[in-house]
Amino acid sequence: MSAIPVSTVPSQPGSLRANWRIFWNGGRISYAALFNWARPSIYIPTLLGAPTFQILYFAALGSYDTGMDPEFFAIGNAVQVCSMAGIYGMTMAVANERWFGTLPALMASPANRAALFGGRFIPFIVNGFLVSAYGFVLCWIFLDVRFDAATLGVMVLAMIVTAFSCSAIGAVMGGVSLRLRDGLFGANLLVFLFLLFCGVNIPLSALPDWMQAVSQVLPFTHGLAAVRLAIDGATLAQVGGLIATEFFIGVAYAVAAFFLFTWLERSSYRNATLDAR
Amino acid sequence: MVSLAELRSNLHQVGRVWVFQIRIFLISDFFILTAVVQPVIFATIAFLLFQVGGESAGEQTLLFAALGTGMMGVWSTTLFGGGGAIAWQRWESTLELLVAAPRRYDLTLLGQTLATTTFGFYSMVATLAWGVLLFGMPLNANYPLMLPLSLLAAVIGLGIMGMLLATTFVLYRHANALSNLLEYPVWIATGMLVPLALLPGWLGPISWVLLPTWAVEAIRGAAIGTEPPWLPIGMCIVLALIYYVIARRVLVYVIDKARRDATLNLA
Repeated sequence: MSAIPVSTVPSQPGSLRANWRIFWNGGRISYAALFNWARPSIYIPTLLGAPTFQILYFAALGSYDTGMDPEFFAIGNAVQVCSMAGIYGMTMAVANERWFGTLPALMASPANRAALFGGRFIPFIVNGFLVSAYGFVLCWIFLDVRFDAATLGVMVLAMIVTAFSCSAIGAVMGGVSLRLRDGLFGANLLVFLFLLFCGVNIPLSALPDWMQAVSQVLPFTHGLAAVRLAIDGATLAQVGGLIATEFFIGVAYAVAAFFLFTWLERSSYRNATLDAR
Repeated sequence: MVSLAELRSNLHQVGRVWVFQIRIFLISDFFILTAVVQPVIFATIAFLLFQVGGESAGEQTLLFAALGTGMMGVWSTTLFGGGGAIAWQRWESTLELLVAAPRRYDLTLLGQTLATTTFGFYSMVATLAWGVLLFGMPLNANYPLMLPLSLLAAVIGLGIMGMLLATTFVLYRHANALSNLLEYPVWIATGMLVPLALLPGWLGPISWVLLPTWAVEAIRGAAIGTEPPWLPIGMCIVLALIYYVIARRVLVYVIDKARRDATLNLA
C-alpha cells in the first residue's frame, strides 16, 4: 500500500502556508482515510454500478408511466447520482472521525478549523462530478442523450456547482451524524428525497405547492435545471442565475455545517461527549 | 430421515431466531428506512409519475404501483439484510459462536433471513396505506383467498433467497457493495414497476430464475389479476427449493473453507 505524498516543508502554525497544507493535504488524507468506499472493490459497484442501473431504471419507469422522453429522467438521474459521492462521502469524512476514534486528536490540534473543514470538500466535489460525468456518458451511449458542444462548458460548470452544494448538505449531515447512533440514516434519507423533490424524476410543475417550496432550498433543483437548459443549448448568460442560486445554496449549507461542527465541538467539551457513542 | 421431534426442534430454532432478529430490526434505523420510508418515497414518485402521465392513473394502476413499490422495499430489505447476514455476524463477533454451537447453523441463518423478508413486508403495508390515505387508492382483491397464500409463498421464497445471498455474498469481501449494486437491476429485471413486456427480450430468461419476479406476480395476481396465481405461487416454491439446496451447499463450502483457512472471523 503506497502512502499519500505530503509536503514535509515546515511551516509556521497559523500561517497561510500551514493553513493551505491543512486544507489541501488534510482534504486528501481525510478522503483516503475516512471515505470507506475509496477502494475499487467498493467504489466500482457502489459509485459506478449502482448509478448505471439507477439511470436505466428511472429512464424506463419514467417513460413508461408518463409517456415522456426517457431523456428527461436520464439527465435528472445522471446529475442526482453525484449525491452518492457528495452526501455519503462528506458524511463519512466528518462522522468517521468519531467512529475511527480520531476525533479527540483532531479536536485537540490547533489546526485552523475553516481550513480543516473546507479541505474535505475538494475530493468529494471532484468525485461527485466524475460520477455524474460517467452517468452522462452512459446517457449518451445507451439513451441517445445528445449535448450541445457550444454549451458543454456551461453544463460542466453547473455540474461542478451542483456537486459542491450536494457536498455541502452532506457536510451538514456529517455534523449531525457526530451525535447520532446511525450516521448514515440522514444521508440515505436525503438521497431518496432528492429523487422526489428536486425535479430529478418529476417535473417541478407537477409537484404540490409545498413540495415546490421545499425544492427551492434544496441542492440540485437549480443546478439540475441549469444542466437541462445547457443541454438544450442555453448559454451562461441564460442560466447564470440558476447556477449562482445553486452556488449560494451550497455556500449556505457549507456555512451552516461549519457552525454546526464548531458548536458541536464546544458543546462536546462542555458535556464531555466528544467521543460518546 | 428427520424424526418428528427433530423437526419440531428445528422449527423451534428457526422461530426463536426469527423473533430475535425481528426485534433487532425494530431498533435499526437503517432497516426502518429501507422497509418503510424508502418504499413510501418510491411509491410517491410512481403515483406522481402516473399523474403526470394523465389518463393512465386509474384505480388498478395505483394498486399496481403500490404493490410494485412495496415489493421493491421487500427486495431491498432482503438484499441488505440477507446479503449482509453473515458479514454482520462477523462484525459483531458472534459468527464463531453461532457456527461452533451444537445447533445447525443453516437453520439459524434461515431464521435470520426469513425475519429479514418478513420485516420487509412492512413495505407492502406502508405503500398500500400511503396509496389509500394520500391518493384515494381503493383496497380490493380479485382473489382475496389467494392473497395470504401468495404472501406466504413470497415471504418463504424471498427468505430462502436471502439465505442464498448471505452465503454467496460472504465470499466477496465487501458484501454491502454488492447489495448497493444489485438493488436497481433486480427492480428492473423482475418487472416490479415496469412490465417485462416493455423491456428488452433478453431480460425474460433472467427474470424467470429470479424469485422476486414470481413473488410480485403472485401477489399482483391475487390482487388485480384475471385468473388465480397458481403458476407464480408454484414457481416461488420450486425456486425456493432450488435456492435452498444451492445455499446449503455453498454454506457448507464457505464454513469449511473458513475453518480450514482460520478466516471465520476475519472480515
